[in-house]
Amino acid sequence: MYIQGLSLTNYRNYQDLSVTFDDKVNVIIGENAQGKTNLMEAIYVLAFSKSYRTPRDKELIQWNQNYAKIEGKVYKRKQSFPLEIQFSSKGKKAKVNHLEQRRLSDYIGALNVVMFAPEDLNLVKGSPQIRRRFIDMEIGQIQPVYIYHLGQFQKILKQRNHLLKDLQRRKTNDRTMLEVLTEQLIEHASFIVEKRFLFLDLLRKWAKPIHKGISQDKENLEISYLSTVDVSEVEDREKIKAKYTTSFFSMLEKEVDRGTTLIGPHRDDLVFYVNDKDVQTFGSQGQQRTTALSLKLAEIDLIKSEVGEYPILLLDDVLSELDHYRQSHLLHTIQGKVQTFVSTTSVSDIQHDTINQAELFHVKDGEIVM
Amino acid sequence: MYYPEPISKLIDSFTKLPGIGPKTAVRLAFFVLNMKEDDVLDFSKALVSAKRELTHCTVCGHITDQDPCPICQDELRDNSIICVVQDPKDVIAMEKMKEFNGRYHVLHGAISPMDGVGPEDINVPALLNRLKDEEVEELILATNPNIEGEATAMYISRLVKPSGIRITRIAHGLPMGGDLEYADEVTLSKALEGRREL
Repeated sequence: MYIQGLSLTNYRNYQDLSVTFDDKVNVIIGENAQGKTNLMEAIYVLAFSKSYRTPRDKELIQWNQNYAKIEGKVYKRKQSFPLEIQFSSKGKKAKVNHLEQRRLSDYIGALNVVMFAPEDLNLVKGSPQIRRRFIDMEIGQIQPVYIYHLGQFQKILKQRNHLLKDLQRRKTNDRTMLEVLTEQLIEHASFIVEKRFLFLDLLRKWAKPIHKGISQDKENLEISYLSTVDVSEVEDREKIKAKYTTSFFSMLEKEVDRGTTLIGPHRDDLVFYVNDKDVQTFGSQGQQRTTALSLKLAEIDLIKSEVGEYPILLLDDVLSELDHYRQSHLLHTIQGKVQTFVSTTSVSDIQHDTINQAELFHVKDGEIVM
Repeated sequence: MYYPEPISKLIDSFTKLPGIGPKTAVRLAFFVLNMKEDDVLDFSKALVSAKRELTHCTVCGHITDQDPCPICQDELRDNSIICVVQDPKDVIAMEKMKEFNGRYHVLHGAISPMDGVGPEDINVPALLNRLKDEEVEELILATNPNIEGEATAMYISRLVKPSGIRITRIAHGLPMGGDLEYADEVTLSKALEGRREL
Protein backbone atom coordinates (compact mmCIF):
# COMPACT_ATOMS: atom_id res chain seq x y z
CA MET A 1 0.00 0.00 0.00
CA TYR A 2 1.08 3.58 -0.35
CA ILE A 3 -0.13 7.13 0.14
CA GLN A 4 -0.76 8.91 -3.14
CA GLY A 5 -1.40 12.29 -1.64
CA LEU A 6 -1.93 14.17 1.58
CA SER A 7 -3.82 17.34 2.48
CA LEU A 8 -3.48 19.13 5.78
CA THR A 9 -5.70 21.89 7.09
CA ASN A 10 -4.84 23.82 10.25
CA TYR A 11 -2.60 20.98 11.29
CA ARG A 12 0.17 22.13 13.65
CA ASN A 13 2.22 24.60 11.57
CA TYR A 14 0.54 23.65 8.27
CA GLN A 15 -2.28 26.00 7.38
CA ASP A 16 -3.19 24.48 4.08
CA LEU A 17 -1.05 21.90 2.37
CA SER A 18 -1.73 19.60 -0.50
CA VAL A 19 0.98 17.31 -1.77
CA THR A 20 1.36 14.19 -3.90
CA PHE A 21 3.96 11.55 -3.12
CA ASP A 22 6.13 9.10 -4.96
CA ASP A 23 5.24 5.47 -4.32
CA LYS A 24 8.84 4.64 -3.41
CA VAL A 25 11.08 6.96 -1.42
CA ASN A 26 10.16 10.49 -0.39
CA VAL A 27 12.75 12.61 1.34
CA ILE A 28 11.61 15.56 3.39
CA ILE A 29 14.35 18.11 3.83
CA GLY A 30 14.31 21.19 5.97
CA GLU A 31 15.99 23.14 8.71
CA ASN A 32 15.02 22.53 12.29
CA ALA A 33 11.55 23.68 13.40
CA GLN A 34 10.14 23.99 9.88
CA GLY A 35 7.66 21.12 10.06
CA LYS A 36 9.43 17.94 8.95
CA THR A 37 8.35 15.94 11.94
CA ASN A 38 4.87 17.45 11.83
CA LEU A 39 4.46 16.08 8.33
CA MET A 40 5.64 12.63 9.41
CA GLU A 41 3.38 12.83 12.44
CA ALA A 42 0.41 13.68 10.22
CA ILE A 43 0.86 10.41 8.32
CA TYR A 44 1.15 8.56 11.60
CA VAL A 45 -2.02 10.20 12.94
CA LEU A 46 -3.84 9.33 9.72
CA ALA A 47 -3.03 5.68 10.45
CA PHE A 48 -3.53 5.50 14.21
CA SER A 49 -5.93 8.41 14.85
CA LYS A 50 -3.61 9.69 17.54
CA SER A 51 -0.14 11.08 17.82
CA TYR A 52 2.89 9.39 19.32
CA ARG A 53 4.14 12.77 20.50
CA THR A 54 1.24 13.84 22.65
CA PRO A 55 -1.79 12.28 24.30
CA ARG A 56 -3.74 15.54 23.79
CA ASP A 57 -5.39 15.79 20.38
CA LYS A 58 -5.87 19.52 20.92
CA GLU A 59 -2.18 20.12 20.34
CA LEU A 60 -2.58 18.97 16.75
CA ILE A 61 -4.83 21.91 15.97
CA GLN A 62 -3.10 25.05 14.77
CA TRP A 63 -3.00 27.90 17.23
CA ASN A 64 -6.16 30.05 17.07
CA GLN A 65 -8.05 27.58 14.87
CA ASN A 66 -10.95 25.43 15.99
CA TYR A 67 -10.31 22.33 13.95
CA ALA A 68 -7.60 20.41 12.16
CA LYS A 69 -8.01 18.00 9.28
CA ILE A 70 -5.80 15.39 7.67
CA GLU A 71 -6.87 13.80 4.42
CA GLY A 72 -4.95 11.12 2.64
CA LYS A 73 -5.44 9.19 -0.54
CA VAL A 74 -4.41 5.62 0.08
CA TYR A 75 -3.74 2.97 -2.52
CA LYS A 76 -4.34 -0.49 -1.10
CA ARG A 77 -5.43 -3.82 -2.59
CA LYS A 78 -5.38 -2.38 -6.09
CA GLN A 79 -7.73 0.46 -5.35
CA SER A 80 -7.43 3.94 -4.02
CA PHE A 81 -9.65 5.42 -1.35
CA PRO A 82 -9.63 8.53 0.83
CA LEU A 83 -8.99 8.51 4.56
CA GLU A 84 -9.91 11.50 6.63
CA ILE A 85 -9.50 12.46 10.22
CA GLN A 86 -10.69 15.65 11.79
CA PHE A 87 -10.02 17.04 15.25
CA SER A 88 -12.06 19.72 16.95
CA SER A 89 -13.08 20.69 20.45
CA LYS A 90 -15.94 18.20 20.12
CA GLY A 91 -13.57 15.30 19.56
CA LYS A 92 -12.43 13.47 16.49
CA LYS A 93 -14.18 12.20 13.42
CA ALA A 94 -12.62 9.49 11.28
CA LYS A 95 -13.77 8.57 7.82
CA VAL A 96 -12.82 5.70 5.56
CA ASN A 97 -13.88 6.13 1.95
CA HIS A 98 -16.16 9.06 2.94
CA LEU A 99 -17.97 6.98 5.57
CA GLU A 100 -17.67 7.99 9.17
CA GLN A 101 -16.44 5.22 11.48
CA ARG A 102 -18.07 5.21 14.88
CA ARG A 103 -15.52 2.97 16.52
CA LEU A 104 -11.84 3.72 16.25
CA SER A 105 -11.22 0.00 15.94
CA ASP A 106 -13.09 0.19 12.63
CA TYR A 107 -10.78 2.94 11.46
CA ILE A 108 -7.36 1.82 12.61
CA GLY A 109 -5.91 -0.75 10.27
CA ALA A 110 -7.12 0.94 7.08
CA LEU A 111 -3.63 2.37 6.70
CA ASN A 112 -0.64 0.49 8.08
CA VAL A 113 2.36 2.49 9.16
CA VAL A 114 5.67 1.58 10.73
CA MET A 115 7.45 4.51 12.28
CA PHE A 116 11.05 4.75 13.29
CA ALA A 117 11.82 7.94 15.20
CA PRO A 118 14.64 8.89 17.57
CA GLU A 119 12.28 8.04 20.46
CA ASP A 120 12.19 4.46 19.26
CA LEU A 121 15.78 4.01 20.24
CA ASN A 122 14.32 4.04 23.75
CA LEU A 123 12.28 0.97 22.92
CA VAL A 124 14.94 -1.25 24.45
CA LYS A 125 16.33 0.85 27.25
CA GLY A 126 13.26 2.89 28.16
CA SER A 127 10.47 2.10 30.58
CA PRO A 128 8.23 -0.99 30.21
CA GLN A 129 5.39 1.34 29.25
CA ILE A 130 7.13 2.12 25.96
CA ARG A 131 7.41 -1.58 25.12
CA ARG A 132 3.79 -2.26 26.05
CA ARG A 133 2.71 0.62 23.87
CA PHE A 134 4.79 -0.73 21.01
CA ILE A 135 3.28 -4.19 21.20
CA ASP A 136 -0.28 -2.89 21.68
CA MET A 137 -0.10 -0.49 18.73
CA GLU A 138 1.35 -3.10 16.44
CA ILE A 139 -1.21 -5.77 17.30
CA GLY A 140 -3.92 -3.14 17.04
CA GLN A 141 -3.12 -2.26 13.46
CA ILE A 142 -3.14 -5.89 12.41
CA GLN A 143 -6.12 -6.92 14.53
CA PRO A 144 -8.43 -4.02 15.34
CA VAL A 145 -10.54 -6.12 17.77
CA TYR A 146 -7.52 -6.05 20.06
CA ILE A 147 -8.02 -2.31 20.54
CA TYR A 148 -11.57 -2.94 21.71
CA HIS A 149 -10.44 -5.45 24.32
CA LEU A 150 -7.64 -3.18 25.43
CA GLY A 151 -10.10 -0.31 25.90
CA GLN A 152 -12.51 -2.49 27.88
CA PHE A 153 -9.65 -3.82 29.96
CA GLN A 154 -8.52 -0.30 30.85
CA LYS A 155 -12.04 0.73 31.84
CA ILE A 156 -12.53 -2.27 34.09
CA LEU A 157 -9.06 -1.76 35.54
CA LYS A 158 -10.01 1.79 36.47
CA GLN A 159 -13.23 0.57 38.13
CA ARG A 160 -11.38 -2.16 39.95
CA ASN A 161 -8.66 0.16 41.21
CA HIS A 162 -11.28 2.53 42.55
CA LEU A 163 -12.99 -0.31 44.36
CA LEU A 164 -9.68 -1.58 45.76
CA LYS A 165 -8.93 1.90 47.04
CA ASP A 166 -12.35 2.04 48.71
CA LEU A 167 -11.76 -1.36 50.27
CA GLN A 168 -8.33 -0.29 51.47
CA ARG A 169 -9.78 2.79 53.14
CA ARG A 170 -12.63 0.67 54.49
CA LYS A 171 -15.20 2.82 52.75
CA THR A 172 -16.88 -0.35 51.64
CA ASN A 173 -16.62 -4.03 52.39
CA ASP A 174 -18.09 -5.43 49.23
CA ARG A 175 -16.02 -8.42 48.19
CA THR A 176 -18.68 -9.68 45.78
CA MET A 177 -18.21 -6.64 43.56
CA LEU A 178 -14.46 -7.18 43.66
CA GLU A 179 -14.97 -10.75 42.47
CA VAL A 180 -17.23 -9.56 39.67
CA LEU A 181 -14.73 -6.98 38.45
CA THR A 182 -11.89 -9.48 38.74
CA GLU A 183 -13.80 -11.94 36.59
CA GLN A 184 -14.49 -9.23 33.99
CA LEU A 185 -10.87 -8.14 34.05
CA ILE A 186 -9.61 -11.70 33.51
CA GLU A 187 -11.93 -12.13 30.54
CA HIS A 188 -10.21 -9.29 28.66
CA ALA A 189 -6.75 -9.86 30.14
CA SER A 190 -6.64 -13.40 28.82
CA PHE A 191 -7.61 -12.21 25.35
CA ILE A 192 -4.89 -9.54 25.42
CA VAL A 193 -2.21 -11.90 26.67
CA GLU A 194 -3.07 -14.59 24.15
CA LYS A 195 -2.85 -12.12 21.27
CA ARG A 196 0.44 -10.77 22.58
CA PHE A 197 1.86 -14.29 22.64
CA LEU A 198 0.80 -14.92 19.06
CA PHE A 199 2.25 -11.59 17.97
CA LEU A 200 5.55 -12.24 19.73
CA ASP A 201 5.87 -15.50 17.90
CA LEU A 202 5.61 -13.67 14.59
CA LEU A 203 7.87 -10.85 15.72
CA ARG A 204 10.55 -13.35 16.71
CA LYS A 205 10.28 -15.16 13.42
CA TRP A 206 10.95 -11.97 11.44
CA ALA A 207 13.27 -10.10 13.79
CA LYS A 208 15.83 -12.84 14.38
CA PRO A 209 17.16 -13.14 10.81
CA ILE A 210 17.13 -9.35 10.39
CA HIS A 211 19.15 -8.88 13.55
CA LYS A 212 21.60 -11.51 12.40
CA GLY A 213 21.98 -9.66 9.12
CA ILE A 214 22.55 -6.24 10.67
CA SER A 215 25.05 -7.59 13.17
CA GLN A 216 26.88 -9.46 10.41
CA ASP A 217 26.05 -12.83 11.93
CA LYS A 218 27.58 -11.93 15.25
CA GLU A 219 24.44 -11.52 17.32
CA ASN A 220 21.53 -13.74 18.13
CA LEU A 221 18.33 -11.97 19.23
CA GLU A 222 15.80 -13.52 21.58
CA ILE A 223 12.61 -11.95 22.86
CA SER A 224 10.70 -13.10 25.89
CA TYR A 225 7.51 -12.00 27.58
CA LEU A 226 7.84 -11.09 31.22
CA SER A 227 4.48 -11.69 32.81
CA THR A 228 3.21 -10.83 36.27
CA VAL A 229 1.36 -14.13 36.14
CA ASP A 230 3.05 -17.47 35.62
CA VAL A 231 1.76 -18.20 32.13
CA SER A 232 3.73 -19.70 29.31
CA GLU A 233 3.49 -18.78 25.67
CA VAL A 234 2.31 -22.15 24.48
CA GLU A 235 -0.89 -21.94 26.47
CA ASP A 236 -4.25 -21.18 24.91
CA ARG A 237 -6.83 -18.74 26.13
CA GLU A 238 -8.62 -21.14 28.48
CA LYS A 239 -5.36 -22.10 30.21
CA ILE A 240 -4.30 -18.46 30.48
CA LYS A 241 -7.68 -17.65 31.98
CA ALA A 242 -7.38 -20.43 34.54
CA LYS A 243 -3.91 -19.28 35.59
CA TYR A 244 -5.02 -15.68 35.86
CA THR A 245 -7.96 -16.75 37.99
CA THR A 246 -5.73 -18.66 40.40
CA SER A 247 -3.21 -15.82 40.59
CA PHE A 248 -5.80 -13.11 41.08
CA PHE A 249 -7.61 -14.93 43.84
CA SER A 250 -4.41 -15.60 45.72
CA MET A 251 -3.48 -11.92 45.39
CA LEU A 252 -6.78 -10.37 46.49
CA GLU A 253 -5.74 -9.61 50.09
CA LYS A 254 -2.48 -8.07 48.99
CA GLU A 255 -4.28 -5.98 46.40
CA VAL A 256 -6.79 -4.71 48.96
CA ASP A 257 -3.88 -3.91 51.22
CA ARG A 258 -2.14 -1.90 48.53
CA GLY A 259 -5.34 -0.48 47.11
CA THR A 260 -4.49 -1.22 43.49
CA THR A 261 -4.36 -4.01 40.89
CA LEU A 262 -0.95 -5.62 41.09
CA ILE A 263 -0.97 -8.15 38.29
CA GLY A 264 -2.14 -8.18 34.69
CA PRO A 265 -1.09 -7.30 31.15
CA HIS A 266 -0.78 -3.63 32.15
CA ARG A 267 2.27 -4.59 34.22
CA ASP A 268 3.88 -7.04 31.84
CA ASP A 269 7.05 -6.33 29.88
CA LEU A 270 9.21 -7.56 27.04
CA VAL A 271 12.81 -8.58 27.52
CA PHE A 272 15.32 -8.67 24.69
CA TYR A 273 18.40 -10.84 24.80
CA VAL A 274 21.42 -10.61 22.54
CA ASN A 275 23.67 -13.66 22.77
CA ASP A 276 21.83 -14.63 25.96
CA LYS A 277 22.50 -11.30 27.65
CA ASP A 278 19.70 -8.91 28.62
CA VAL A 279 20.18 -5.98 26.22
CA GLN A 280 18.44 -3.47 28.44
CA THR A 281 20.89 -3.98 31.29
CA PHE A 282 24.02 -5.36 29.69
CA GLY A 283 23.83 -4.31 26.06
CA SER A 284 25.93 -1.55 24.58
CA GLN A 285 24.27 1.54 23.11
CA GLY A 286 24.96 0.08 19.68
CA GLN A 287 23.31 -3.23 20.52
CA GLN A 288 20.27 -1.45 21.89
CA ARG A 289 19.98 0.49 18.64
CA THR A 290 20.41 -2.58 16.49
CA THR A 291 17.72 -4.36 18.49
CA ALA A 292 15.29 -1.47 18.09
CA LEU A 293 16.05 -1.34 14.38
CA SER A 294 15.60 -5.11 13.95
CA LEU A 295 12.21 -4.94 15.65
CA LYS A 296 11.03 -2.10 13.46
CA LEU A 297 12.25 -3.74 10.28
CA ALA A 298 10.67 -7.02 11.35
CA GLU A 299 7.35 -5.24 11.55
CA ILE A 300 7.51 -4.41 7.88
CA ASP A 301 7.63 -8.07 6.93
CA LEU A 302 5.25 -9.03 9.68
CA ILE A 303 2.58 -6.66 8.43
CA LYS A 304 3.17 -7.84 4.89
CA SER A 305 2.59 -11.44 5.98
CA GLU A 306 -0.49 -10.66 8.09
CA VAL A 307 -2.16 -7.92 6.08
CA GLY A 308 -0.97 -8.93 2.64
CA GLU A 309 0.66 -5.61 1.78
CA TYR A 310 3.72 -3.73 2.86
CA PRO A 311 3.09 -0.90 5.34
CA ILE A 312 4.34 2.63 4.89
CA LEU A 313 7.64 3.33 6.58
CA LEU A 314 8.33 6.63 8.31
CA LEU A 315 11.95 7.37 9.19
CA ASP A 316 11.94 10.54 11.20
CA ASP A 317 15.44 11.92 11.63
CA VAL A 318 16.92 8.53 12.36
CA LEU A 319 19.02 7.81 9.31
CA SER A 320 21.69 10.19 10.49
CA GLU A 321 21.68 8.41 13.85
CA LEU A 322 22.66 5.12 12.30
CA ASP A 323 26.11 4.24 11.09
CA HIS A 324 26.77 3.65 7.44
CA TYR A 325 26.44 -0.11 7.58
CA ARG A 326 23.09 -0.01 9.39
CA GLN A 327 21.87 2.72 7.07
CA SER A 328 22.52 0.67 3.99
CA HIS A 329 21.05 -2.43 5.58
CA LEU A 330 17.88 -0.51 6.30
CA LEU A 331 17.67 1.07 2.88
CA HIS A 332 18.44 -2.24 1.26
CA THR A 333 15.54 -3.93 3.10
CA ILE A 334 13.00 -1.43 1.86
CA GLN A 335 14.36 -1.00 -1.61
CA GLY A 336 11.71 -0.75 -4.23
CA LYS A 337 8.92 -2.36 -2.23
CA VAL A 338 8.02 -0.14 0.70
CA GLN A 339 6.86 3.44 0.36
CA THR A 340 9.19 5.31 2.65
CA PHE A 341 9.27 8.82 4.07
CA VAL A 342 12.62 10.02 5.29
CA SER A 343 13.06 13.31 7.09
CA THR A 344 16.48 14.87 7.40
CA THR A 345 18.19 18.21 7.66
CA SER A 346 20.52 17.40 4.81
CA VAL A 347 20.74 14.69 2.14
CA SER A 348 24.49 14.60 2.28
CA ASP A 349 24.25 12.63 5.56
CA ILE A 350 22.78 9.77 3.65
CA GLN A 351 24.85 7.90 1.14
CA HIS A 352 22.88 5.32 -0.71
CA ASP A 353 21.53 4.86 -4.21
CA THR A 354 17.99 4.70 -2.89
CA ILE A 355 18.17 8.29 -1.78
CA ASN A 356 19.49 9.44 -5.14
CA GLN A 357 16.40 8.13 -6.85
CA ALA A 358 14.07 9.61 -4.27
CA GLU A 359 11.68 12.47 -4.67
CA LEU A 360 12.73 15.47 -2.59
CA PHE A 361 10.44 17.83 -0.70
CA HIS A 362 11.84 20.98 0.86
CA VAL A 363 9.88 22.09 3.90
CA LYS A 364 10.02 25.69 5.03
CA ASP A 365 7.82 27.22 7.68
CA GLY A 366 4.82 24.97 7.14
CA GLU A 367 4.97 24.94 3.38
CA ILE A 368 6.58 22.81 0.73
CA VAL A 369 8.82 24.85 -1.51
CA MET A 370 10.05 23.48 -4.78
CA MET B 1 -25.13 40.93 24.57
CA TYR B 2 -27.80 42.46 26.75
CA TYR B 3 -31.02 40.58 27.29
CA PRO B 4 -33.64 41.84 29.75
CA GLU B 5 -33.34 39.82 32.93
CA PRO B 6 -36.49 37.66 32.54
CA ILE B 7 -35.41 36.39 29.16
CA SER B 8 -31.83 35.79 30.14
CA LYS B 9 -33.09 33.72 33.08
CA LEU B 10 -35.25 31.75 30.66
CA ILE B 11 -32.27 31.17 28.34
CA ASP B 12 -30.24 30.01 31.29
CA SER B 13 -33.01 27.56 32.25
CA PHE B 14 -33.15 26.09 28.78
CA THR B 15 -29.40 25.49 28.68
CA LYS B 16 -29.84 23.18 31.69
CA LEU B 17 -31.67 20.70 29.46
CA PRO B 18 -29.66 17.97 27.74
CA GLY B 19 -28.84 18.56 24.09
CA ILE B 20 -29.59 22.28 24.29
CA GLY B 21 -26.67 24.59 23.62
CA PRO B 22 -26.58 28.38 24.05
CA LYS B 23 -27.89 29.13 20.55
CA THR B 24 -30.84 26.75 20.72
CA ALA B 25 -31.63 28.10 24.19
CA VAL B 26 -31.91 31.64 22.79
CA ARG B 27 -34.17 30.43 19.98
CA LEU B 28 -36.44 28.54 22.36
CA ALA B 29 -36.62 31.47 24.77
CA PHE B 30 -37.70 33.87 22.03
CA PHE B 31 -40.20 31.31 20.80
CA VAL B 32 -41.76 31.22 24.26
CA LEU B 33 -42.23 35.01 24.14
CA ASN B 34 -44.45 34.61 21.10
CA MET B 35 -46.49 31.75 22.51
CA LYS B 36 -50.07 32.24 23.78
CA GLU B 37 -50.16 32.94 27.47
CA ASP B 38 -52.37 29.91 28.16
CA ASP B 39 -49.93 27.62 26.44
CA VAL B 40 -47.05 29.03 28.43
CA LEU B 41 -49.01 28.58 31.64
CA ASP B 42 -49.84 24.97 30.76
CA PHE B 43 -46.22 24.35 29.87
CA SER B 44 -44.94 25.65 33.17
CA LYS B 45 -47.61 23.73 35.10
CA ALA B 46 -46.68 20.55 33.27
CA LEU B 47 -43.05 21.04 34.25
CA VAL B 48 -43.87 21.57 37.90
CA SER B 49 -46.37 18.73 38.15
CA ALA B 50 -44.07 16.29 36.40
CA LYS B 51 -41.56 17.03 39.09
CA ARG B 52 -43.94 17.21 42.06
CA GLU B 53 -46.49 14.53 41.34
CA LEU B 54 -44.20 11.86 40.05
CA THR B 55 -42.50 9.66 42.58
CA HIS B 56 -40.72 6.36 42.44
CA CYS B 57 -42.88 3.31 43.06
CA THR B 58 -41.97 1.90 46.46
CA VAL B 59 -42.16 -1.63 45.07
CA CYS B 60 -40.33 -1.55 41.76
CA GLY B 61 -38.78 1.92 41.58
CA HIS B 62 -40.50 2.89 38.33
CA ILE B 63 -41.68 6.49 37.96
CA THR B 64 -45.36 6.85 38.83
CA ASP B 65 -48.03 9.25 40.02
CA GLN B 66 -49.62 6.63 42.26
CA ASP B 67 -47.95 4.29 44.67
CA PRO B 68 -47.63 1.37 43.97
CA CYS B 69 -47.41 1.98 40.25
CA PRO B 70 -50.06 0.65 37.83
CA ILE B 71 -47.77 -2.17 36.73
CA CYS B 72 -47.22 -3.36 40.30
CA GLN B 73 -50.98 -3.08 40.99
CA ASP B 74 -51.99 -5.00 37.89
CA GLU B 75 -53.26 -8.36 39.18
CA LEU B 76 -53.17 -10.00 35.78
CA ARG B 77 -49.41 -9.83 35.63
CA ASP B 78 -47.17 -12.74 36.41
CA ASN B 79 -45.65 -12.42 39.88
CA SER B 80 -43.13 -15.14 39.40
CA ILE B 81 -40.92 -13.26 36.99
CA ILE B 82 -39.10 -9.95 37.49
CA CYS B 83 -37.22 -8.06 34.83
CA VAL B 84 -34.41 -5.88 36.21
CA VAL B 85 -33.61 -2.73 34.21
CA GLN B 86 -31.36 0.27 34.73
CA ASP B 87 -33.73 3.06 33.85
CA PRO B 88 -37.47 3.93 33.85
CA LYS B 89 -37.12 4.48 30.10
CA ASP B 90 -36.19 0.82 29.78
CA VAL B 91 -39.50 -0.19 31.38
CA ILE B 92 -41.35 1.88 28.81
CA ALA B 93 -39.35 0.28 26.00
CA MET B 94 -40.20 -3.17 27.35
CA GLU B 95 -43.87 -2.26 27.74
CA LYS B 96 -44.09 -1.05 24.16
CA MET B 97 -43.09 -4.53 23.12
CA LYS B 98 -46.29 -5.88 24.79
CA GLU B 99 -44.79 -9.33 25.16
CA PHE B 100 -43.54 -9.29 28.69
CA ASN B 101 -46.17 -9.90 31.30
CA GLY B 102 -44.08 -10.09 34.44
CA ARG B 103 -43.04 -7.46 36.96
CA TYR B 104 -40.20 -4.95 36.77
CA HIS B 105 -37.49 -3.65 39.01
CA VAL B 106 -35.78 -0.36 38.15
CA LEU B 107 -32.25 0.09 39.50
CA HIS B 108 -31.78 3.76 38.56
CA GLY B 109 -28.21 3.29 37.45
CA ALA B 110 -25.43 0.74 37.42
CA ILE B 111 -22.67 -0.04 39.86
CA SER B 112 -19.56 2.01 39.09
CA PRO B 113 -16.90 2.35 41.79
CA MET B 114 -15.18 4.98 39.64
CA ASP B 115 -18.16 7.29 39.99
CA GLY B 116 -18.69 6.35 43.62
CA VAL B 117 -21.80 4.30 42.86
CA GLY B 118 -21.99 1.14 44.95
CA PRO B 119 -24.78 -1.50 45.11
CA GLU B 120 -26.50 0.28 47.97
CA ASP B 121 -26.63 3.52 45.94
CA ILE B 122 -28.82 1.93 43.31
CA ASN B 123 -32.06 0.06 43.94
CA VAL B 124 -30.40 -3.29 44.75
CA PRO B 125 -31.31 -3.67 48.46
CA ALA B 126 -35.01 -3.22 47.61
CA LEU B 127 -34.70 -5.93 44.97
CA LEU B 128 -33.21 -8.37 47.47
CA ASN B 129 -36.05 -7.67 49.90
CA ARG B 130 -38.58 -8.25 47.17
CA LEU B 131 -37.03 -11.59 46.34
CA LYS B 132 -37.32 -12.61 49.99
CA ASP B 133 -40.97 -11.62 50.31
CA GLU B 134 -42.43 -12.48 46.92
CA GLU B 135 -42.61 -15.86 45.24
CA VAL B 136 -40.24 -15.19 42.37
CA GLU B 137 -39.10 -17.98 40.10
CA GLU B 138 -37.10 -16.10 37.50
CA LEU B 139 -35.06 -12.93 37.47
CA ILE B 140 -34.28 -11.47 34.04
CA LEU B 141 -31.26 -9.18 34.11
CA ALA B 142 -31.78 -6.60 31.38
CA THR B 143 -29.10 -4.07 32.30
CA ASN B 144 -27.22 -2.40 29.45
CA PRO B 145 -24.61 -4.45 27.60
CA ASN B 146 -21.66 -2.28 28.61
CA ILE B 147 -19.03 -2.77 31.31
CA GLU B 148 -21.06 -1.25 34.16
CA GLY B 149 -24.33 -2.91 33.14
CA GLU B 150 -22.58 -6.23 32.77
CA ALA B 151 -20.85 -5.90 36.14
CA THR B 152 -24.16 -5.00 37.79
CA ALA B 153 -25.83 -8.06 36.26
CA MET B 154 -22.99 -10.31 37.41
CA TYR B 155 -23.14 -8.77 40.88
CA ILE B 156 -26.86 -9.34 41.29
CA SER B 157 -26.60 -12.86 39.95
CA ARG B 158 -23.94 -13.70 42.54
CA LEU B 159 -26.10 -12.42 45.37
CA VAL B 160 -29.24 -14.16 44.21
CA LYS B 161 -27.88 -17.45 42.86
CA PRO B 162 -27.69 -19.18 46.31
CA SER B 163 -31.46 -18.71 46.76
CA GLY B 164 -32.12 -21.03 43.81
CA ILE B 165 -34.06 -18.49 41.76
CA ARG B 166 -33.52 -18.93 38.03
CA ILE B 167 -31.40 -16.08 36.71
CA THR B 168 -31.25 -15.15 33.05
CA ARG B 169 -29.48 -12.44 31.08
CA ILE B 170 -31.04 -10.92 27.97
CA ALA B 171 -29.27 -11.94 24.76
CA HIS B 172 -26.78 -9.71 22.97
CA GLY B 173 -26.46 -9.75 19.25
CA LEU B 174 -27.69 -8.56 15.94
CA PRO B 175 -30.52 -6.05 15.64
CA MET B 176 -33.57 -7.39 13.83
CA GLY B 177 -34.09 -6.15 10.31
CA GLY B 178 -30.39 -5.31 10.07
CA ASP B 179 -27.75 -6.68 7.79
CA LEU B 180 -25.04 -8.99 9.00
CA GLU B 181 -22.39 -7.11 7.05
CA TYR B 182 -23.05 -3.87 8.92
CA ALA B 183 -22.56 -5.36 12.36
CA ASP B 184 -19.30 -4.53 14.11
CA GLU B 185 -16.92 -7.35 15.04
CA VAL B 186 -17.67 -7.24 18.73
CA THR B 187 -21.44 -7.53 18.31
CA LEU B 188 -20.93 -10.20 15.72
CA SER B 189 -18.67 -12.25 17.97
CA LYS B 190 -21.23 -11.92 20.81
CA ALA B 191 -23.96 -13.03 18.44
CA LEU B 192 -21.89 -16.02 17.41
CA GLU B 193 -21.23 -16.92 21.06
CA GLY B 194 -24.97 -16.85 21.76
CA ARG B 195 -26.03 -18.87 18.72
CA ARG B 196 -28.90 -21.34 19.08
CA GLU B 197 -29.75 -24.77 17.78
CA LEU B 198 -32.50 -24.66 15.16
